[in-house]
Amino acid sequence: MRFVDEFRDPAAARTLLGAIERLAAPDRHHKFMEVCGGHTHTIYRHGIEHLLPANVELVHGPGCPVCVIPMGRVDDAMWLAEQPDVIFTCFGDMMRVPGSNGSLLEAKARGADVRFVYSPLDALALATRNPDRQVVFFALGFETTAPSTAVTLVRARELGVANFSVFCNHVTIVPPLKAILDSPDLRLDGFLGPGHVSTVVGNRPYRFVPEVYGKPIVVAGFEPLDILASVAMLLTQLREGRCEVENQYSRIVRDEGNPAALALMGQVFALRPHFEWRGLGFISQSALRLHDDFAEFDAEQRFAMPGVRVADPKACQCGEVLKGVLKPWECKVFGTACTPETPIGTCMVSPEGACAAYYNFGRMHRDAAHLVARG
Amino acid sequence: MTVGTLDQELAADLAAASLVLARRFAAGATLWCLAPSWEPHAQHVAVEFVHPVIVGKKALPAVALTGPDLVAAGRVSVRAGDVVLAVAGADDPQVRDVLRRAPAWGATTLWIGSGGRPPPGAADHVLWLDDPDPALPATGGFVLLYHLLWELTHVCFEHPGLLTEQAPGSVCITCSDEGRLGEVVAPGRVRTAGGVEDVSTLLVDPVAPGDLVLVHAGTAITRVDP
Repeated sequence: MRFVDEFRDPAAARTLLGAIERLAAPDRHHKFMEVCGGHTHTIYRHGIEHLLPANVELVHGPGCPVCVIPMGRVDDAMWLAEQPDVIFTCFGDMMRVPGSNGSLLEAKARGADVRFVYSPLDALALATRNPDRQVVFFALGFETTAPSTAVTLVRARELGVANFSVFCNHVTIVPPLKAILDSPDLRLDGFLGPGHVSTVVGNRPYRFVPEVYGKPIVVAGFEPLDILASVAMLLTQLREGRCEVENQYSRIVRDEGNPAALALMGQVFALRPHFEWRGLGFISQSALRLHDDFAEFDAEQRFAMPGVRVADPKACQCGEVLKGVLKPWECKVFGTACTPETPIGTCMVSPEGACAAYYNFGRMHRDAAHLVARG
Repeated sequence: MTVGTLDQELAADLAAASLVLARRFAAGATLWCLAPSWEPHAQHVAVEFVHPVIVGKKALPAVALTGPDLVAAGRVSVRAGDVVLAVAGADDPQVRDVLRRAPAWGATTLWIGSGGRPPPGAADHVLWLDDPDPALPATGGFVLLYHLLWELTHVCFEHPGLLTEQAPGSVCITCSDEGRLGEVVAPGRVRTAGGVEDVSTLLVDPVAPGDLVLVHAGTAITRVDP
């Protein structure tokens, strides 16, 4: 919700770390995946990874929507942005994501009218102010962001804004979790569940994780103590032989989520039969398209987009990083050819991408971090 | 409590709070003080910061908020970048209400008290005496704490290099799973740390002025209940 010093209290952190050390079985290596990019950012920013015992490992998941957008969709966005009379709008970080022919920022430098917005509602306002131009919004994000797009489309229809459309790339949280659990590459002991996504979807959609796969999951807040408390809750479950969905972030997340948001999303969106995720490949029913009732606002129907699938650059190992198979620094181009200034892969673009977070904050040696933590 | 018995943890909290306070003052903040059960403490803190008792020291803007409705007083007084300091027990309902709203007003919060501690996250900085003695507020422990806070704030001012706040790192709205606290001003208008914004409240309706919500990409996605 916000960075709060009281949630970063060193004494409380030491207490939790002590509990984690006691709870972690000494003869086991515990591997937990944090699903959300916000968690990855907190973990690296505060050096949490280095403070945990050596047998408690955090693996970074695919919860950064910018990171999982496949290159072909970026190319489609570039194509849209370069159409005459189009004002192409997107969130700021999407501007720097590389496609096969540069980024939206570079398209803007070449003369395309690309503007970043804070909200899809801002894009709609732009459309009402520019009735002679086509305004396209590049919609992406999980269930936290999709409601905002849904609200915008309902408003666009109410206002009769004919020059507004959405290039929909919203994804959903449950299918990639299933894909990861089905992956033979990973042996995970549990998950830190996403925080604000869960304000919308609630805790119930995660029940399959313990019930079908026998893994615990704890919905976690974003402050350092939230992360540590959630890791301790996961270890407590394992120690006690329990396996459940627990909610550490109960100050914000309710079991039922936001029913009004879910209902509106049901009206505005429909599930795509399949969608490509960078690193995870095609996952069925893992993304949203506009419902047929809102087809008039669907940029994919309004424009004859190329829709070509493009392979990632060979040097880039974002796929392995996103699956948690590789740590960011194990990628061949990490910190050399690929940096936040000149990203090759998506994980280096967003501050919440595992590579960018590690590049910016994570290069402290484990021993140094322990010294700092112990004062 | 004497200076000699100030435990290490509280000393660290005090130093961190003083540095933040100095940085906020340097950036133009006003300190708003409240102590609903012991108003003289609020007035004392304000006087302490306002008067330049040592030659060459700055008089720092501080005001005691008093009256029957401190939420209403805070709402109209506090501006983004200000600091709200409360002297109160952990169960004081007015203080809890003011401090949980303060992030939506853009304010940093400090809470001085004793006995049972407030819940984690109730304030940005909690300076707490764990002594359960209910008479402690009258014994001088709090006075010592806020005198130290005042002195240490001035110590920070002697080191101008400390006063520049680190710019907050940029975050991606979607990837960070952003959620900003906001206080509803009117339907479709929400006050956040960034000012009053147009925010769709469709998904959390009905809302009333004063309700707290979490804002993501221009839409309130959930209510934040007490």
